[in-house]
Formats: sequence, C-alpha cells, structure tokens
Amino acid sequence: MHVIIDYGLGNTASVLKAVRAAGFPAEISSNPSLLENAETLILPGVGSFRDAMHRLEKLYLIPLLNNLVLSKKKRFLGICLGLQLLAEWGTEDGVTQGLGWIKGKVEKIPFSGQRIPHMGWNNITPTDSALQEALPSLDFYFMHSYYFHAEEEYVTSTVEYGIPVTATIQKGNIFAAQFHPEKSQEAGLAYLRFVLGKQYA
Amino acid sequence: MLKRRIIPVLSFNGFALVKTKKFSSPRMVGNPIQAARVYNSRGVDELLFVDIFATEQNRPLNLSFIKSVLDECFMPVGVGGAIRTLENISQLLSIGADKVIIKSAALDRPEFVAEASRTFGAQCITIAVDAKKGPMGEYKVHSLNGDTFALQDFLKEMEDRGAGEFFIQSVDNDGMMEGFDLSLIKLSQETVSLPLIAAGGAGDPTHFLHLFQECSVDAAAAASIFHFTQYTPNDIKSLLAEHGFPVRYNLK
Repeated sequence: MHVIIDYGLGNTASVLKAVRAAGFPAEISSNPSLLENAETLILPGVGSFRDAMHRLEKLYLIPLLNNLVLSKKKRFLGICLGLQLLAEWGTEDGVTQGLGWIKGKVEKIPFSGQRIPHMGWNNITPTDSALQEALPSLDFYFMHSYYFHAEEEYVTSTVEYGIPVTATIQKGNIFAAQFHPEKSQEAGLAYLRFVLGKQYA
Repeated sequence: MLKRRIIPVLSFNGFALVKTKKFSSPRMVGNPIQAARVYNSRGVDELLFVDIFATEQNRPLNLSFIKSVLDECFMPVGVGGAIRTLENISQLLSIGADKVIIKSAALDRPEFVAEASRTFGAQCITIAVDAKKGPMGEYKVHSLNGDTFALQDFLKEMEDRGAGEFFIQSVDNDGMMEGFDLSLIKLSQETVSLPLIAAGGAGDPTHFLHLFQECSVDAAAAASIFHFTQYTPNDIKSLLAEHGFPVRYNLK
C-alpha cells in the first residue's frame, strides 16, 4: 500500500486517483501505524512552506517521517510543495526550517521578465538516464512561484524558467517532483510508475 | 520552454452545460460529465468548469456533481461559481480542483482574495475578470451589485492582494466567434505581471494564432468553438506549432 499523507494541505484526492490509475493500491491517511506499514509515503502539498511545516509539526509527523524515511529508508515521494519541504530552509512568509533531508533552500523564482507563478506545461531536462528512459514525454504541469535551490548531485532533472529550476530530485529512497504528476496525464502516470514501480528491500 | 495552453471552458447552469452570447441568452450544449470525459481522452492542456449563474441565483456549490466531473479529469482543472468562503475553496481543492476561479467575491471583498492566497497559495487563486468596453474604448468590470471598476485598477488591486492568475474575458466578444479582443488582452498584460488566460470570441483556429502573435499571454480559453464547430484543441495547437509556437503534443 502506498499512503498519501493527509495533513490538511494538498490535493490528496487527485494524487490518490492518479496513483490508482497508474496501477498501484493507495490510500489517504495520517494514521501513524498506516504510515509505518506503507510501501511509499507520498507527501503532496499546495500552499505555503511555513503553513505546511506547522501542520506537519502539529500532527507530530516530523519525527515519524525522519525515522521512517531517514533511518528505515522507506520510499518517499514529495510532490510540488512536498519537494520544497525537503529543503533545510524555506523563505516564503519569513524563514522556516524544512525537513532538511537535502541541503539547500527554497527561494522565489528570480524575476527576469517571465510571468510568476510558473504556470502551465513545461519540458524538463533529465540528467538521470533511467528517468529519461521511463518517460514517454517530457512535458509536465507546473504551478509554483518558489523553487528548491538544491544540492546539485541529487537533482535528476531541471526545467528552464528564466533559470534552470529543480524539477525532480532523487536521493536514495527519497524522490520528489516540483511538477504535478497527478495532473500531467500520461507523462505524469509514467513518472509515478518510475518511482513506485521499483522494488525496495 | 513554457507551452501555449488551449483551455476549453465548460460553463454550467446547475444541471447542464450552457453557452452564452455576450453573457446572456444561454443555450444548452450538453452534459458536463461527458464533455469532461471527451476532453480528458483528447488530453487537453487544462479545463475550466464554471457555474456561471450560481452567484446570481444564489445557489451553493454542488460539490457532489462537481466531483463527478473532476473524477473524469487527469489534467488541471479550475472550478468557479459562487466561491465566497475559505471553506468553499478548501472543499473544492479536496475533491480534486487545482484552481478556483473567483469573480463576484473578489469584486465585493478584495480582502477575501488576500486571505485565500495566504491560506492556499497564490498559484491556485484565479481571478475571473469580465471586462466590458465603454463608449470611449475604456474597459470596465461590473459587479452584480452595480459597482463599476476601471479594468486596470481592478487588475492591480488583485495582483497586490495575492492573486495567482487572471482569466480575462471580453463580455462583448463572448459567444460571437469573431476573434479575441486583442486590445483588452494587451492592456491587461501591460498592467500586471501575473499569468493571464485570454477568453471571449474565439471561433476559428486563426483567432488563437492572432492572439499569440499579437499578445504575450501563455493561455487561451474558449467554449463556442468546441461546441459549435468541428475544431478540437489539437487542431488549434497544430496551427500554432506550424507557426513556431511551443505547444504540448498529446501522446494519444
């Protein structure tokens, strides 16, 4: 079972529908015992970095996630804001500490004449050949104003929007996408299969 | 590179799809669930689903019906119609909407847009702007209680309040199928720096081409062309691609 973490922020219904359409059993929950037994923890998110961290704190999910993902190496997939929360720091609405699983901070996309939020379909450039091969199309749906300026070695694809913006991340069992796979039709389902289809011990 | 998006609009009267001309004389054009299913199978870039009479008729959101439309969609969907509270937004997002389209509440209570943006993030707050051209060529936005705002003032205020995107419709061109109001779109894009969706007047793929040749918007929305002609969003995108505009090709 793949569990979509319910913390009151995030389009959990859309993510559930897409994970199931990609061919995987899934449910939405914040119940610690379900999270402990999940094959994958999926953290979606729309909204602000600060609000998201506060909600995770209030539900006592941060130590649980640290334990499951960092110590027990359970597979994790962050989507959109769920990718940004991996950072050490967020700068939306003042500076907030993130999960800190990957070095770097989340900043506003620098303005260089483009319209912000970055909204719509844009093509990613994978640096990871396995990811490239898994995707039938490189166009994904983005909707965000902030981006994760992350440690380069874990960035597996970028998207050009004035600057190269982190589009996907992988660090061992930790996967994340800035775009919305659940809204990116066939390409999105292929990305979900790429992440969720692998066997983990 | 960011792709130009072609967005079908499903306008709804509470039980059926309807299409208006100049925002009046609604004509029934089908079933929203079937329409959503067809657009999903065609892999459209995005969909807007708006209950256009909900505020006027003081009808609450029909969440279970909206959900059955959203369940057909694997593309981003914006939902509009009588969105007046944070709870409305939270309910729509939780059943699978990606954006909410706010109109009357934004005109009546601009501070609501700020609250919504702070709570849910600017990226999901789309402001519908129904602009009407005055006798001197000036554009105005009218609220249901009869207040009138200059287009530029309203756009700037919404941008300052934290809107994420504008859905700019020409009331005069609505349903006329004779082309977009390019001067309205140009004026809007010069006034604000948020993403814009242009709407109102498309009847032929060349109208979209002219829009993108003349304006810097990334997205165009339309309804009549899809209800009353044989053209599909893909026909429009093929024409755009022939002229060098980046579009997303569907896999199907």
